[in-house]
Amino acid sequence: MTDQKPLGEEIDFEPDVDPTDPAPKPGADLGGLSLIVDDVHVTYRVYGGRRAAASGDELSVVRRLLNRTNRHIGAVTEVKAIRGVSFVARHGEAIGIVGRNGSGKSTLLRAVAGLLPLSGGTVYISGEASLLGVNAALMKDLTGERNIMIGGLALGLTATEVRERYDEIVEFSGIGDAVNLPMKAYSSGMGARLRFAISSAARPDVLMVDEALATGDAEFRARSKQRIDEIREQAGTIFLVSHSLAAVRSMCSRVLWIDKGKLRMDGPVDEVCDAYQEFTRPRRPAR
Amino acid sequence: MDDVSDDLAARLAAGDAAALAEEHGLARIGSRPALGAYIRSLWSRRYFIGVLATSRAYARNQNTYLGQLWALLNPLLWAGVYLFVFGVLLDTSRGVDNFIGFLVIGVFMFRFTSSSVTAGAKAITSNLALVRSLHFPRALLPMSIVLAELATLVPAVLVLCVIVLITGEPLTWSWLLFPVAVIVQWVFNTGFSFILARLVAQARDLLNVLPFVLRGLMYTSGVFFSIDHYVGTGVLGSVLAYQPVAVYLTLARSCLLQDFPPDPLVWGFGVGWALLFAVGGFLFFWRAEEKYGRD
Repeated sequence: MTDQKPLGEEIDFEPDVDPTDPAPKPGADLGGLSLIVDDVHVTYRVYGGRRAAASGDELSVVRRLLNRTNRHIGAVTEVKAIRGVSFVARHGEAIGIVGRNGSGKSTLLRAVAGLLPLSGGTVYISGEASLLGVNAALMKDLTGERNIMIGGLALGLTATEVRERYDEIVEFSGIGDAVNLPMKAYSSGMGARLRFAISSAARPDVLMVDEALATGDAEFRARSKQRIDEIREQAGTIFLVSHSLAAVRSMCSRVLWIDKGKLRMDGPVDEVCDAYQEFTRPRRPAR
Repeated sequence: MDDVSDDLAARLAAGDAAALAEEHGLARIGSRPALGAYIRSLWSRRYFIGVLATSRAYARNQNTYLGQLWALLNPLLWAGVYLFVFGVLLDTSRGVDNFIGFLVIGVFMFRFTSSSVTAGAKAITSNLALVRSLHFPRALLPMSIVLAELATLVPAVLVLCVIVLITGEPLTWSWLLFPVAVIVQWVFNTGFSFILARLVAQARDLLNVLPFVLRGLMYTSGVFFSIDHYVGTGVLGSVLAYQPVAVYLTLARSCLLQDFPPDPLVWGFGVGWALLFAVGGFLFFWRAEEKYGRD
């Protein structure tokens, strides 16, 4: 990986800036702090299942029977999803979060946005954090028009603001007359486009994006990326959770690598992405 | 990273986060908002509560050919069943002159409370995805859900009034108090839902108990019979007659039926229960605000 670094005059540039992406990569003129995450822990309670008790061989018959019942009655397991993560973020930073499935990326994002109660630690933030995504507020039986109002209000806009932005939202989503049909009649692509158009109508201080860019056709993906860039210019800080390292490399200046609920690495985008790639690669040929 | 962030990381590791946050003007998140600020943010979202409620009530009848006509047909069919069973098959008066009017008011107004409470109890648990993706004062969920039940009640109330008129009740001034009685009951339902929503969010098992509690309430609130007539006016009779649900049924009947003269004591109890549940329930719900969405 080291030998691909350019030599000579270019050495004083930012290392490995993706040439396909002219988006401003903040780094030189970082502002003040926008977020402090101090030793955050998140514990989920999961109902209806319990991990099997440790080695059953030497247990008595009674104990084994008891263990078996335990899996069906009072089966509540505490899952430690985030175990002591700390970092600070500054205005103008775009931070990617990478990690394997179930490593706690989305949980961390929601906890930092103040949407999941913490079981330990504290988060300090300037302004309000917002998660890009209104899916949960929308009702599939109602028309797109009605859902634009519901979604906009859910995001904290006033009714007047939603009405002002209505045309822009419809135009951006590109769904045309279908806005008068119930959302359940939409194709999955149309639904995703309308949802993205609604949720990106608000302009938060800290924006959290959870894999929202993977939807829609190529043209819509390009448009939505442009929209994200716009939001980033206005939002102080942006977080992007993605499995696509290409997306992270093209949009972020800094990356957090989460593994088993802990912060494994925190640093410049290419350094962390390379290390992460190195980490995931050898697993495939093994065995 | 550069020296500055190394410095920051060092201060963070040294347990200096609170001072650092204050230095940069950052606010702590995930703590429960002060009561005043909480009420103000609810007030600023009042339009959202209304839109959520009417949308919910509207979406309920959206998947059918007859569409919103079901809002009217549904209570009509309910009334038809009760009229047939109690008016034609059993033909019983059970100590009440206008038994049909008595019964229909009892059934409709009881359903208002039972369906509000059933839906309100699940306000947090059935909207976890919403709670986990957007910021808003969580109290607006039970509020909008109970408001949706009020919106559903409006067509039912029209059916109710027509049936009561057909049974021969005169249209009197006391009918003007009926909307007030409905509002008072709605306030009570909202308060009750606040309490249940928090309890169910903390232990879902309660949802399995709730149907039995509601069924018990149905038989002890004088939906089908007059409490005075069957239980009498002793201690047990008084307890049954002045528990909230029975009070609201009596209140509605006193507005529409000649048999039930308006009683200031019943009105006092009705308003008292509503305020007690609304204020107490709201405070109870607010005190766990930062914990909703955990599981």
